[in-house]
Amino acid sequence: MTSLDASPMTLDDDPLEESAPNGRPRNRHQRGQRAVTVSPSVIVPVASLVCALLVGAIVIVVDGANPFEVYRSVAAGVFIDNRGLSDTATAATPLILIALGYALAYRARVFTIGAEGQYLLGAIVSVGVVTADGVRDLPGPVLIALGVMAGALAGAAWGGITGVLWTRFGASIVISSLMLVYVAQALLQWSIRVPIRDPESFVPASRQLGNAQLGELPFLGTHLGFVVAVACGPVLAWLFARHRVGYRISVLGHNPSALDANEVASRRVVMMVVLAAGGLAGLAGFFEMSGVNGRLGSSASLGLGFTGIIVALLGRLHPIGVVAAGLAIAGLDIGFEVSARSHDLPSSLVGVIQALVVVFVVAGDALAARFIGEGE
Amino acid sequence: MLGSNGAGKSTLMKVLVGLEKPDEGTVHLLGAPIDRFEPGLVRARGIAMVQQHFTLVPTLTAGENLILARPTNRRLPDRASSRARLDALVERYGLEVRNDVPAGELSVGEQQRLELLRALDANAQVLLLDEPTAVLTDAEAARLLFVCRSLADEGRAVAFITHRLAEVFDGCDRVSVLREGRGVIVDQPVADHNRADLASAMIGAATTGTFSKRSAREHHLGPSRLSMTTVSSATLRAIDLDVRGGEIVGIAGVDGNGQGDLEALLSGRQTPTGGTVHIDGQVMAVAEPRARLGFGVAYVPSDRYRWGLVRPMELADNLELGRVPLRRQRRRDRHTGARQALIDWNVRSAGPGAKASSLSGGNAQKLVLARELGGDPGVVLACYPTRGLDPDAADVVAQRLVERAVAGAAVLWIGAELDELFAVSDRLFVMSDGKLIGPFVAPFDRLAIGLAMAGDTTDLVVDLTHEPSIERAARP
Repeated sequence: MTSLDASPMTLDDDPLEESAPNGRPRNRHQRGQRAVTVSPSVIVPVASLVCALLVGAIVIVVDGANPFEVYRSVAAGVFIDNRGLSDTATAATPLILIALGYALAYRARVFTIGAEGQYLLGAIVSVGVVTADGVRDLPGPVLIALGVMAGALAGAAWGGITGVLWTRFGASIVISSLMLVYVAQALLQWSIRVPIRDPESFVPASRQLGNAQLGELPFLGTHLGFVVAVACGPVLAWLFARHRVGYRISVLGHNPSALDANEVASRRVVMMVVLAAGGLAGLAGFFEMSGVNGRLGSSASLGLGFTGIIVALLGRLHPIGVVAAGLAIAGLDIGFEVSARSHDLPSSLVGVIQALVVVFVVAGDALAARFIGEGE
Repeated sequence: MLGSNGAGKSTLMKVLVGLEKPDEGTVHLLGAPIDRFEPGLVRARGIAMVQQHFTLVPTLTAGENLILARPTNRRLPDRASSRARLDALVERYGLEVRNDVPAGELSVGEQQRLELLRALDANAQVLLLDEPTAVLTDAEAARLLFVCRSLADEGRAVAFITHRLAEVFDGCDRVSVLREGRGVIVDQPVADHNRADLASAMIGAATTGTFSKRSAREHHLGPSRLSMTTVSSATLRAIDLDVRGGEIVGIAGVDGNGQGDLEALLSGRQTPTGGTVHIDGQVMAVAEPRARLGFGVAYVPSDRYRWGLVRPMELADNLELGRVPLRRQRRRDRHTGARQALIDWNVRSAGPGAKASSLSGGNAQKLVLARELGGDPGVVLACYPTRGLDPDAADVVAQRLVERAVAGAAVLWIGAELDELFAVSDRLFVMSDGKLIGPFVAPFDRLAIGLAMAGDTTDLVVDLTHEPSIERAARP
């Protein structure tokens, strides 16, 4: 598994483990003291978020603004503004779907980083299908079902290329999944100019999705994709805890040789993992087009596939954690969008804070492993 | 230098080239003591080793590898100078190596000659070769011995490690035998010894007592349960073997004579290049590890931490390896079942939620046994099942395996310790160079087995056409 081992990311603790194991005390030094039972899998991400905001405050001061004011308006942008929460939910939808795919893959230590490409392929193909001649006049529910299938399949196929390159030729998953992002971005530009271009449009773009557009759901103020994304959380959590597939993913992540010798050829599980992760990203692509953009334009590649890595890590690869992390990261985006404009701050500030979160999560994991002694 | 696995030969060589430091004692080189054991210093004084596993850069040519080891200047070597360097050495020592292909594409024999040239290029006066003939064909090995002889005639000292007796008599002046880290025969002329006494020095005398009680069991031999017909692979040469229900067949031999392939084939990890394996009359499925359960094959792997356990996962999860249902029980219910298994198999642990990495070697092996032997398997493939265990734990493991045989399973036991194999085996084969030599039956002839392990079958008095175990099995 050379390409897997080559990854810079390491997950020394068991992401499956939510509670302390029975029996053996986790921490020798803790035995005599008051039992502190909050698991590091919750402390680390929360503390990382706080630390990132603290360092972010320094950047804000350097920029000449008052960090308290900025953060207050960020919070207000999310929780008090009229559409703050529903905008957050909408923005979180693709992040959650993509990050769930990453969580699946990273538990298996299949270090794909190419969800951006799978997301774009999902968007291109699903938009192509639902806007095709003779299809686009079908009733909405049929179109949406078609789009969901087309998006998921296209994303899975794009991820599958990475899988085949690895299983057949041993090509590094990290590299090939990343390179395929650029191929997908080029495909996007070509597709909105040639095969799925709206002939009426002046700029290169697809047709409007029309009947395939997702409306706002009552009470939630967001589209169907959000419900699907959030529902995927518990489904995956169940899969990891109670299904053979989840078991095999953990074994693959911890000891691929044992998987080969006892359960199933590990490359088959690797293949399944990249297909599933790609499918989730492709699904995100369709939902974003039909729920938000309404058509496929030349600026569809926003880097959600990369932000998804942050979300997966912040969510500790746990499906429920990923849903929470997706909402948190999306909340930062939405809050800062308003706040940065009113305080005359650069819009890249939120990117700095999100990147700091990753740095602190990774460092926090290393620290937790050292002090708790869970590292092997 | 002779010795079986783990005798300490490689460790001794590593000390000599400075890869390991001795706890005590001194080494003299050309009359002067070596005071600092560091690879660079030792090499500078003229000791060079050809490792068992080659240390060439596979993408560089032979000449470039030479220049890499002993650069002439700070520039990248050009093709012409690297070729000149190689050609000079090839001509001087008559060791032919091609220079127009990357080292990784050279034959094994060529790679070894290149390693040797590299050592000679540094003008090594003492050459150490760690099992140089293990990877060579017979003709290549003979040629290597010839080269060693001519180097010795030039005034160099050549020491080589082997476990093949014939090479000692063909190529060496003096011999040492190591066993369990001690010199049994130290630096004596080869002419003073014969094959028999070297072989018995290698394998040692029988230890008494500890294993004997295991063999005291009833024999009820059933029909053949595991049957291999002309099974071949990269390292196995047409193996024929039948193991009957209630029988324990031992496979002895020096590591690396095909045991690894035999394990991989019978555990379903690898497909044979020829021949078939039958389990209870059915052709065994390959590359489908879960099928083992259906065939009733229990597999105790040689490397339990690589093939048998997932260390960072819970004991309860480890017990499900290879047999996890599509829908798993709740964690609590899984633990309930696992707790019972841990008690039944006397696995000492902090409970089913503990990680497998927290277990001691003996308890880890018991965990493997609990999983593999729990479902009354018909065939047991046990590969070095007691390796690395303390005597008590080893005894428990052996006892459990013998119990399976008494219950009617066919047990194939690949092992390294002769005394243990003698104690448990009904029949014993020696694996040598991908072939099975035997069967040997009790009372086991240590000398004949030792000679077979050293690749010398000329003295073998076992009648290979006759299967004595079947008659023996008839008695109660």
